[in-house]
Amino acid sequence: MIKPAASSEKKGAVLSIKTTIQDSIRNLLKKGMDQGVFDAVLIPMRVPAGDSFSYVLIKDKSLLNNAVALPPIMSVQGAKAVSSVTRLGNGTMKIAAVMRPCEIRATIELTKLDQVHVENMTLISIDCPGVMPILDFIREPEKAIKLFENATKSWDDTIMRPVCQICDKSSMIAGDLHIGTLGTKKDAFFIISNSKKGKDTLEKLDIPLNGNIDSWQIKVKENAEEKQKKRKKTHKDLKTKIGHLDNLLDTFSQCINCHNCMRVCPVCYCRLCYFDSDKVKHPSGEYLRRAKEKGSIRFLPDTTLFHMGRMMHMSLSCVSCGSCEDACPMSIPVAQIFSMVADETQGLFDYVAGRSSGEPLPLKTYKKDELHEVEDAHD
Amino acid sequence: MTKALKLTKNTEQGVREFVKFLLEKGNVKGVFTLKKINQKGSVAYSLITTSDELNDAVPFYPLMPTNAGTLLSRFTLNGSTTEPIVAIVKPCELRAFIELIKREQGSLENIYIISSTCGGVYPLKIVAEETIEKNLSQYWDAVKKGEMNENLRPACTGCTEFTPYTADITVDLIGHNNLDKECVLILNTKKGEELAKEMKGEFLERELDKETLKKFYDKRDAAKKKLFNEINTKMKGLDGLIEIFGRCIGCHGCSTVCPICYCKLCEFDSSDSEYKPSTYESELKRRGGLKVPPGTIYYHLGRLAHMGISCVGCGSCEDVCPVDIPLSIIFKKVGESIQQIFEYIPGKNIEEKIPLLTYEEEEFTEIEE
Amino acid sequence: MNRKIGVYICECGPNISEKIDIDKVIEAVRFLNDIVVVERYKLLCSEDGKKYLTEQIKRYGLTHLIIAACSPRDHQLTFMEVCENAGINPYLFQLANIREQCVWITADKEEATKKAIRLTKAAIGRVRCHSPLEKKEMESNPDVLIVGGGIAGIETSLQLAHSDRKIYLVEKTASLGGLIKNFEKTYPEMHPCSISIQQKIETINKTNNIKIFTDSEVEDILGFFGNFEIKVKKNTNEKDSVSFNVGAVVFATGSTLFNPNKTTCYGYGKFDNVLTALEFEKMNLSGEIVLKNNKTPKSVAIIHCVGRTEKGYCSEICCMYSLKFARYLKDKIPDIKVFNFYSDLCIPGKTHQKFYEQTQGKNIDFIRAKNIEIAKKGEHLTITYNDEKSGKNNYDVDMVILSPALEPTADTARLAEFTGISLGDGGFFAEVHEKLGPVSTSSQGVFIAGCSQGPKSIPDTIIQAEAVTGKILSSLIPGKKIEPEVKVSFISESFCIGCKTCLDVCSYGAITFNETKKVSVVNEVICRGCGNCVAACPSGAITLKHFTFNQIYQELKAAIQ
Repeated sequence: MIKPAASSEKKGAVLSIKTTIQDSIRNLLKKGMDQGVFDAVLIPMRVPAGDSFSYVLIKDKSLLNNAVALPPIMSVQGAKAVSSVTRLGNGTMKIAAVMRPCEIRATIELTKLDQVHVENMTLISIDCPGVMPILDFIREPEKAIKLFENATKSWDDTIMRPVCQICDKSSMIAGDLHIGTLGTKKDAFFIISNSKKGKDTLEKLDIPLNGNIDSWQIKVKENAEEKQKKRKKTHKDLKTKIGHLDNLLDTFSQCINCHNCMRVCPVCYCRLCYFDSDKVKHPSGEYLRRAKEKGSIRFLPDTTLFHMGRMMHMSLSCVSCGSCEDACPMSIPVAQIFSMVADETQGLFDYVAGRSSGEPLPLKTYKKDELHEVEDAHD
Repeated sequence: MTKALKLTKNTEQGVREFVKFLLEKGNVKGVFTLKKINQKGSVAYSLITTSDELNDAVPFYPLMPTNAGTLLSRFTLNGSTTEPIVAIVKPCELRAFIELIKREQGSLENIYIISSTCGGVYPLKIVAEETIEKNLSQYWDAVKKGEMNENLRPACTGCTEFTPYTADITVDLIGHNNLDKECVLILNTKKGEELAKEMKGEFLERELDKETLKKFYDKRDAAKKKLFNEINTKMKGLDGLIEIFGRCIGCHGCSTVCPICYCKLCEFDSSDSEYKPSTYESELKRRGGLKVPPGTIYYHLGRLAHMGISCVGCGSCEDVCPVDIPLSIIFKKVGESIQQIFEYIPGKNIEEKIPLLTYEEEEFTEIEE
Repeated sequence: MNRKIGVYICECGPNISEKIDIDKVIEAVRFLNDIVVVERYKLLCSEDGKKYLTEQIKRYGLTHLIIAACSPRDHQLTFMEVCENAGINPYLFQLANIREQCVWITADKEEATKKAIRLTKAAIGRVRCHSPLEKKEMESNPDVLIVGGGIAGIETSLQLAHSDRKIYLVEKTASLGGLIKNFEKTYPEMHPCSISIQQKIETINKTNNIKIFTDSEVEDILGFFGNFEIKVKKNTNEKDSVSFNVGAVVFATGSTLFNPNKTTCYGYGKFDNVLTALEFEKMNLSGEIVLKNNKTPKSVAIIHCVGRTEKGYCSEICCMYSLKFARYLKDKIPDIKVFNFYSDLCIPGKTHQKFYEQTQGKNIDFIRAKNIEIAKKGEHLTITYNDEKSGKNNYDVDMVILSPALEPTADTARLAEFTGISLGDGGFFAEVHEKLGPVSTSSQGVFIAGCSQGPKSIPDTIIQAEAVTGKILSSLIPGKKIEPEVKVSFISESFCIGCKTCLDVCSYGAITFNETKKVSVVNEVICRGCGNCVAACPSGAITLKHFTFNQIYQELKAAIQ
């Protein structure tokens, strides 16, 4: 169980960058493998064709030379990669997984649903400037790499996914260790421990936790506050756009029910989605009856119902990663809508998805005294 | 010579009025066709039961938001339709429906089919770009002239099955200049004739214009060969497959929208395709590095093996792919290769059994040898 | 399936026939699909009615039966039996309640008829989707778990041990005996009681089929009447958990005393020589009644009704034992001055009045007092009070004994939760009916006896112990067959993804997790068919037999169309 250390208790170390930060991270992981702290590393690598990145479970150290801790895109949400390896159990290998904060948070959510087992995994996150929409990368990979490099240097989010542009949790630590690149001196970066496992790992790597991470915390807070302002405004605008039922229906009218959003979502874990099951397959008489009542119905009907149903099922675990929007062939702003609603639903329970594995899922937790404001509204 | 019904209206309006007539007369209780759903050029298939709603019907719109074969299958999955309907669908959608019927996934009973010679559809992203309305007049110009349109779905660009096989009524669009002035409904079957019997219009004898269609076929065939050759060079060997499928994220959107993929729970989504940690560990020992999630190419090869025999080359798969893999050409090519071995055209003849399910004692002796 | 549905509308005497137009209902459903016959009948639940139905079923070769009549609570089982005897699976039957849910809620004949038509159509829509279900039978377990080794638990164990069954007696302290083992004598006979209780404990120890667990607590209770699964854990060693099965459970956990330090006026815990009843009993049993400074007290005040206002009920026994205390004092210290401060004297029963009068005769002062306050006065204590006759008064005494109310023990809530029973007034286990079901609970097979059900005397405790014995002997007969719930949940192995959400919401512990297959599995014998899991599963991988999505959907559709 990862219990997040209080802000004031987070301990870190300052490490130097000899060549590039990516190299430094690779060397750290190599050291870990050399010393037997890790048996394997789960980290993105560029695919052979060069037009994308994918997660690779690496046992052969030499492959680490091509590992990229912070790729410009998120092809597969990291939590799905973790689930693929550990859904059926822990295995014997000690794995270091390097992913973005929202991927770690999604992994933490999945621990609460028995879809991942991370007892033998060290979860390492890194400050995230955002993720580029995947097609922007695929169409011009080399150009995109340069754009992303620059954006990382200046922490400029204009080329990133719309939800990344208003993300205030891009440096949120939910795993065991975190690589801090903000508020650092030139040629240095932070490595911060967030759990006993993290602390032990750094000890084994001979990294003493005596660095001052104040400057990181200050910069992170600054960034988060700025993003929160942006988020508030964006959500306000979005609410007017989809607030009314007519607007909502209009927004989803282009949906072709491909269910890509549901499939790439890390917290949509059902083997067979309710909305793909027999329960939504009605006999012809049923459809004809509905069509007669309204004069005509879209076929297949209930497009918006799918989205509302999915929202009800997963909103409390939504980590606003934006994978859904990247996958939508009709360019519907699903991530923006779902992320906005998630803020509200999670807010109701003072819950942040993936913040801590010790926090039980609100949907499954019964509290006798709760939500009186909803009761009162019906009096 | 086949009977036909000519209406002095532009083709789209003529078809609209025809189905309105059928609805009002009570010959059918519902019309299944493409319908405008907003002002931005979005269309969706709809089940229409009142005349007024038919005013927004756009039966031959060059867009395929969902393959109608899937939709008709869903409509009749739990039993044939309780009331007669008429469905206006594209040739590949009709063929897909026939292939599904062969697998007990639907029924044609009580359904009248109107189809057309098809000029192809645009990729779905044109909806987000909001440029379809702009392209419409250009699209129809080319169709009327029997010329190829640009910027269609690659599957459509290389499609040689643009003539429907089993429709009750066919509207010949390709190469007909006077689509704006007249609407000719070719009544292929007895059912079609029955349907059109009482409609006001000129009854005459008319066939599909074979010559025009042959010219068009040649153009399409040439385009298909070009597309196939291009993909062939990319797909050589395992390395080629790794390159072309390297960016696949395993979303399985392609199988979700594919009309032929009808399994409730795909093999590749089931627990059969999950691996224990010990399996990862032993594989890692051998290979040093493993893509996670694994089985990317295996999934596509599996899907090809399972549905390739019935692939109708509609191109829905490519439209839905979030990483722009040229799926439709890959599947179309491999699909046609499999189909050619058995001289099988999916959806052409409802009586023709699926080769995968048919045992013949004398077959493939060349492989034995 | 070739369905042949027969629809029968019961006139229920004048109850239904005069309140709706039955013929209209018949017309409304006569021509629906699969209906082969629609008839009305005077009283279907009568013997004649049942014969009529049987004959009709055979005559038309019915495959499904619909009856529109009273509430299923009245005759669901009656008609299911008719079906079974006539050769139709009893689950291919649906009862439309056109009485309680229709004619009994409106006087408007037209509205009632309309609703009766909808309810009947709904039942028909539903029954078309029914699947035959088979009853399961299993042998009930005749053994009994008794929680609590006080007089109630001891007595029940001894009574039940005569029959052919195993008794498991679980006591949380180190020894049996309960509160009584602290008493020197019991009222009104004032005989030493330790001997009799010791004898009983010895008998229990010698009885082979009573297994005793001391220093132990019940960790879990799963299952239902005839088939409970029990886990008992020793308090000292976490790992040692024992599991066994029983057919009935008795909660005899007794009560504990209200703690007077919840009040301020008695000085308990503040001043020396202010004792609770139990502390005094123990002191008295040890032989010497002394003050803190080891001197013999010269005057003692016994305060009745401590905590009565706070608890809101009378604990029945405190006045009597307060009189007993007065006797103890006088017997051991003849010259001692004793005051009994009471608010009302509770001395019911045929012997207690005499006991009181005899106690009065021993020169003991009975003062009816209000607003009692205890204060320290040097080495003594002062009692200030309001006498209804003479107003404000005070007395100085050496020792004060408080007689506090009885309240339920700390484990009551936990044990109630295990078995789904409620807590009633005062937080004691709730009996099913104060007069007609004093020892039964809302959960079949879970009984309560003694002070765990409410404050009471020893005779009443014995009575309840014998009552529970009677109930168990007559209902849990060795060899008797029980039928677990048929309408249970079923989890699809291929669709379950093992997120354990259903496990968390199951109130009966009926779902377990198969670690090999990584899927959840329903224990059909424990499942009660409540449907929580069905609702909770996000992917819809769980079905509830006889309440499938389709059945409910079709019923609703027919009802509201």
